[in-house]
Amino acid sequence: MSAATARRFVFTHPSLWLGLAATLAFTLLALVSLVWTPYPIANIEIGDRFLGPSAAHWLGTDNLGRDMASLVMSGTLTSFVVASLSVLIGAGIGVPLGLAAAAWGGALEWLVLRLSDFIFAFPAIIVAILITSLYGPGATNAIIAIGIFNIPIFARVARGGAMSLKTLDYVAAARLAGLGNGAIAYRHLLPNILSLIIVQGTIQLSLGILSEAGLSYIGLGTQPPSTSLGLMLKDAQGLFLIHPWLTLVPGLCIVLIVLALNLAGDGLRDAIDPRLKGVQQNAA
Amino acid sequence: MLLEVAGLTVKFGAVEALSDMSLTLERGERFGIVGESGSGKTLTALAITGLLPEGARVSGSIKIDGEPLPRSEREMARLRGKRIGMVFQEPMTALNPLMRVSDQIEEAIRINTVASAPRIEVPNLLKEVGLELRHGDRFAHQLSGGQRQRVMIAMALAGQPDILIADEPTSALDLITQRLVLDLIAEICTRRHMALLFISHDLKAVAWLCSRVAVLHRGKLVETGSVQDVLGAPTQAYTQKLVAASRFDVRPLARPPIGKTLLEVRGVSRDYKQGGPWPFGGKPLRAVDDVSLTVDAAECVAIVGPSGCGKTTLARIIVGLDRATRGEISFAGELYHGSDLPKARRRDISLVFQDPFGSFDPRLTIEQSLGEPLRLEKLDASTHVDRLIEAVEAVGLGQEMLRRYPHEFSGGQRQRLAIARALVTRPKLLVLDEPVSALDVSVRGEVLALLARLQADFGLTYLVISHDLGMVRAIADRVMVMEAGRIVEEGKPHEIFARPQHKLTQDLMAARLPEVG
Repeated sequence: MSAATARRFVFTHPSLWLGLAATLAFTLLALVSLVWTPYPIANIEIGDRFLGPSAAHWLGTDNLGRDMASLVMSGTLTSFVVASLSVLIGAGIGVPLGLAAAAWGGALEWLVLRLSDFIFAFPAIIVAILITSLYGPGATNAIIAIGIFNIPIFARVARGGAMSLKTLDYVAAARLAGLGNGAIAYRHLLPNILSLIIVQGTIQLSLGILSEAGLSYIGLGTQPPSTSLGLMLKDAQGLFLIHPWLTLVPGLCIVLIVLALNLAGDGLRDAIDPRLKGVQQNAA
Repeated sequence: MLLEVAGLTVKFGAVEALSDMSLTLERGERFGIVGESGSGKTLTALAITGLLPEGARVSGSIKIDGEPLPRSEREMARLRGKRIGMVFQEPMTALNPLMRVSDQIEEAIRINTVASAPRIEVPNLLKEVGLELRHGDRFAHQLSGGQRQRVMIAMALAGQPDILIADEPTSALDLITQRLVLDLIAEICTRRHMALLFISHDLKAVAWLCSRVAVLHRGKLVETGSVQDVLGAPTQAYTQKLVAASRFDVRPLARPPIGKTLLEVRGVSRDYKQGGPWPFGGKPLRAVDDVSLTVDAAECVAIVGPSGCGKTTLARIIVGLDRATRGEISFAGELYHGSDLPKARRRDISLVFQDPFGSFDPRLTIEQSLGEPLRLEKLDASTHVDRLIEAVEAVGLGQEMLRRYPHEFSGGQRQRLAIARALVTRPKLLVLDEPVSALDVSVRGEVLALLARLQADFGLTYLVISHDLGMVRAIADRVMVMEAGRIVEEGKPHEIFARPQHKLTQDLMAARLPEVG
């Protein structure tokens, strides 16, 4: 893509550009927290609790005197890590399952579809409660619970995309060339549905962040002393009427992150749309 | 003057898709616009009806009865129904799938007639387009392609228009239906004294139907005048090329003698289960019914038949994409039943697909796509590359094309590349499924000449699947006519064409349009 088409691309897809920029900003914020936060998040200063925003504490302090800015940075990291890993689990298991279902068909396809129906029947919360009651709460278990919830979604997207490609002549040509189902799925189907998977991944990322917040909020996700945006909400809810600021900061962060991811996802979907693809092809 | 188009230019951004198009249409006159895909013939129709896509900039004048086209969308919509009727290429997508067709015709009548004018009734219209009353109660998917196109014509007639614009109305139909619909359009235009603007890539159809013609090429008007002058004695090189291409003149080349039997199909049937995986499902659908045939080495055999007659299924079984329910195939002495074709034999049979656009993976380079069949032979790297170069050069393309991606090629080039892919394993038998029907007329001749040359050079055996009789006569040594899964007639092309025996063959012959020029 030349510089001119790149520029036109940004202009014709402002929401994609905005969404990606905001997502990138939050990711950077989260990554910085790995090496530096204004204050250590485990630093409890009861004497300094409920401070408003100031030069020393940019977003004030919470009920235990912890620095809110540090908590938000660290919490965003947790949310991103949990959501990304669960998307990786979902895509890593779901996409091969979906491709296999489309490529082999028959009994395997039936099995994959019924399995995903089965998982669909249990929302992430139920799976999380199950895992928690067996192994105890924690971020890892939240990742597994949301990841399991993601598997059938990716399996369905992959199968749907692959089914529409399967009837095309180039797949038949590959079969004539002696390629087996697995080779066809890997060589022809996967590269051509990758764009669908990326778009779905962005959307699942935002859903994952919401799910993580929900799980932490009911105490099944991240455990103190580490923190997440959902955990911050939970800590602040009892004080909402007296100190609404403590709830607003993590709440707004969740809203902005999810909004950014959804904008990026929708924008990607528009950008990958075949009608626009034609324009790009002509430009190439 | 009923319709007068002068200096019509349509631009998309900086690209001039149609430049300086002019035409006139008298009452009751039939005017044809001929051109290949992308020549601007459909844009002309869309500009006249005010249906151009967003982003199109139009200049020039379009006048109906001396009046310029109205500017407001509302008046334009009224004009479209009452003065201009339109028939599109694909009737399935032009009809509402959730409405009975009589309701759709009724709607067209209601919208387009003034309260005072005498109303035409749905039954009359159905009768006029050759449908029965019971067809009106059906939905679009319950009608055949030809019947759907008749419904479209009935809807176009509902407003009693002065001009009928038909944009490739028959290219989605098979040969026999195509002729019936063309005859119907001609008859209605004569009876109603209606002007016709007929847009097509098919020279024969235009010559049959129209009195005057315009030839478009890349958005420019090449030649215009009466059909006898333009198509009978074309002055422009492009028109001459088109006319020559429509005749399928394939020069006979010195060919290796026809040898022993290479492929023998014995009693092959293919059943498709209906109603899902349950044992108590519906009666199986028999796509291929007890077909036996032989193809000799270096022969060119054609299978002809209407769409849905099972010819493509048969081809897929022979190349090993599908499996016969009964019967067996013998290729060079080796028995198989379809998809159990031994891997060592797969390199000897190749298939060339109909649609040059769907037969290449858009994410692989031509080199990767062409190299795929070579997995069947274990070759070292340099032989591998040599084979690829040999194949692309055999189809008249350069080796630098190998690094490109499929979207960088035109339809004709892609079909050459598809043939190159089929040749890369140096096969004995090439199965060609409608090898030229998706291509523009001017390219068809080139591809057929290429096939003839390859046969002469490499002694290839061809099994051609087609519904195009003109092409079959030009290239085939032997023709088989297929109907409803069975082979109903077989013989040398000139014998079958001169003295068709079976009803279907006779219909096919009768449906052929006279040659141009």
